[in-house]
Amino acid sequence: MQLIAKLIKINLIAKLTFNQALTQMGYRRPGQPREDKPPWWRVKFDLSKGLKGMKRHFTLLKEEFFAQFIGPMGKPIIEHMLEQNQVLWEFRGPHSLQEWTISCDREIGGKSEIYLKVGRNNETCLLYGTLCSDPPKDGETRYSGYCTMRAKQPLASFDRKRYHDWSSFNTLHLRIRGDGRPWMINVIAETYYTHQKDDMYSYFLYTRGGPYWQDVKIPFSKFFLAHRGRVQDDQHELWLDKINAIGFTLGDKADGPFQLEIDFIGVCKDYAHTEDFAYEKYKRNPEV
Amino acid sequence: CFCCLRGNNNCAEPGCSVLRQFRCSPASAKSQPEHVRFVNDNDTKKTKSLVTQEDLFEQVAKESKTKATFNQVIDVFTKRDIRRRGHVEFIYAALKKMPEFGVERDLTVYNKLLDVFPKEVFVPRNFIQRMFNHYPRQQECGVQVLEQMESYGIMPNIETKVLLVQIFGEKSHPIRKYQRIMYWFPKFKHVNPFPIPQPLPEDAVDLAVLSLTRIANDLDAKTTVYQLPFTDITESGEEISFPHIVGIQSPNQMELLAKHNPNRPVFVEGPFPLWLKKTCVYYYILRADPTPPEEKEEEVYDPERCFYYPLQLDLDLDRDLGDEENFDVDDLDEGPVFAMCMTSRGDQTTLNQWISGLQQNNPILGRIPTLFRLDAGTRELEGVADTEAGHSHRPHPQSQREDGPPAEDPEVAVEEEKPRRSQGMKQ
Repeated sequence: MQLIAKLIKINLIAKLTFNQALTQMGYRRPGQPREDKPPWWRVKFDLSKGLKGMKRHFTLLKEEFFAQFIGPMGKPIIEHMLEQNQVLWEFRGPHSLQEWTISCDREIGGKSEIYLKVGRNNETCLLYGTLCSDPPKDGETRYSGYCTMRAKQPLASFDRKRYHDWSSFNTLHLRIRGDGRPWMINVIAETYYTHQKDDMYSYFLYTRGGPYWQDVKIPFSKFFLAHRGRVQDDQHELWLDKINAIGFTLGDKADGPFQLEIDFIGVCKDYAHTEDFAYEKYKRNPEV
Repeated sequence: CFCCLRGNNNCAEPGCSVLRQFRCSPASAKSQPEHVRFVNDNDTKKTKSLVTQEDLFEQVAKESKTKATFNQVIDVFTKRDIRRRGHVEFIYAALKKMPEFGVERDLTVYNKLLDVFPKEVFVPRNFIQRMFNHYPRQQECGVQVLEQMESYGIMPNIETKVLLVQIFGEKSHPIRKYQRIMYWFPKFKHVNPFPIPQPLPEDAVDLAVLSLTRIANDLDAKTTVYQLPFTDITESGEEISFPHIVGIQSPNQMELLAKHNPNRPVFVEGPFPLWLKKTCVYYYILRADPTPPEEKEEEVYDPERCFYYPLQLDLDLDRDLGDEENFDVDDLDEGPVFAMCMTSRGDQTTLNQWISGLQQNNPILGRIPTLFRLDAGTRELEGVADTEAGHSHRPHPQSQREDGPPAEDPEVAVEEEKPRRSQGMKQ
């Protein structure tokens, strides 16, 4: 009897932790042991940090409250309506690196490396590392070798999600200096259903290499929808009113060192570009 | 012809002489299915050990691994059994072995591999079969063949489609995957604004010329080959090989160099990596630091230089409110680049040769001190003044520009795993 009760209890706990492991801890690398700690175990209780956090959040809240009286998005309405260029990320100094996260296939057991640092004179950011496309030997992964950099989700007061609103623009403008490698730009928009969690709008970024800076202008109509890297059949254009983040990925199967220097990332309105969407929207996979 | 594609064995169409047997493609109609014994079956039956399909590859292609032997292996398999038992495992093994044989980018080989599937067996014949994912394992195998083609960037052709229709029917997963490939590949084939010729030139000098014209960003730039690669035998019998030196300079760069102040040094920096598909080449540049604002002089436009149109307009163009086309960013001034070069061995003697070659067209180089900053990651800073000494080495607070880690940098591998956002080791 006791044994049965114990078994049921273990089963319940195992199921709970399993669900938690899936949802809260994100991706679990194949082969890693599952952590059985309950979720409240992970929160660290520290008074000074808590006070600092409170101060920061209340300051942000106050700023947001008074920003409404200036105009939409904290800018005067005439500026918001008429602006044609907006610089989103300008890499001047180490504080600008706080908004970016880097990741590579080391998380799934691969051998690539990626580092992010400020460039010369604190004026640019340099993303560099080594790519290695040997798949990890865990029996389930077949392809490997990727490195990414992704902007963090902008947060309002009390860690609420805040979105980028680029509805008045239609082109992405980057100033980069690469080494000839083809990168991929991903834009992550806000979605409603959980199935759409890994939806990304991507496009290619071909670098020329060389000592000269390269201005890259990509209209948002060229971005195609992909889910977990697989291009989808039902395509639609990228909706610019709620953008979460932007990211760069390198996945060409050339092993070796790479680097990408970024000066700034901005959006602009190109009046000459009238295309709505570059790919066909009709149903390409009709039911059998 | 069409009726043969649909499976009509006895084709009544005039002129159609293809008579194929049931469940075989017309390609093999010419040869009768003989049992060709490449493998000694008697031995394997006696030992009764587990034989994987990959062993077949090892056995048949013992001496050389080429396209011909790969085709031979496929022929062995197809002629062994009319029912093609184990064809799914064989195809998976073949897909894995393709890079070893060097045929992974060959479309004919993929078509021949798809030919291994028996035809018409997996085509659903009624609505229940169509509903329930008819022969899922074989469909998955077909999809994997197409996926390997997609990952190597090979465009399938009409023969692939015909084969897939014959094998799996019209609305199967492999056909859907084929349709997706045929939709997206043509869209993305020419999307590279800086296309690289395929195949790359094998000669090092040609490759250097190609990559230098690519990075020059100027169509007026001219490449010069200062030295072709050759080996010299000295008196003691040693062979010293000399590397090739190819340089590029555009008229704009020559002008900038002519205006450069001889009191300030110029730097030879390198090697910086440049990737072309899968090969990495290294280039060196000759540059100077940006002139400090106090020494910048305004260029006066001589109105008599051009009579066709004024070179300088002092009009106050009334722009509309908010009609700003430039971004509100500080302009980066990194100093002019005067020339670029590529050489297989980047030590100071070779680069000195390049500088002296450049000096023929830019006599001012003889008076400017040249400092060599060859990657401080693996090599030490070699600071040498070229000619006219006596100019103090200016302090350079800036760290190295575009730290390019060369491929053979051992420090990259030894680097311990640091938290992601921290500034990694300067390379």
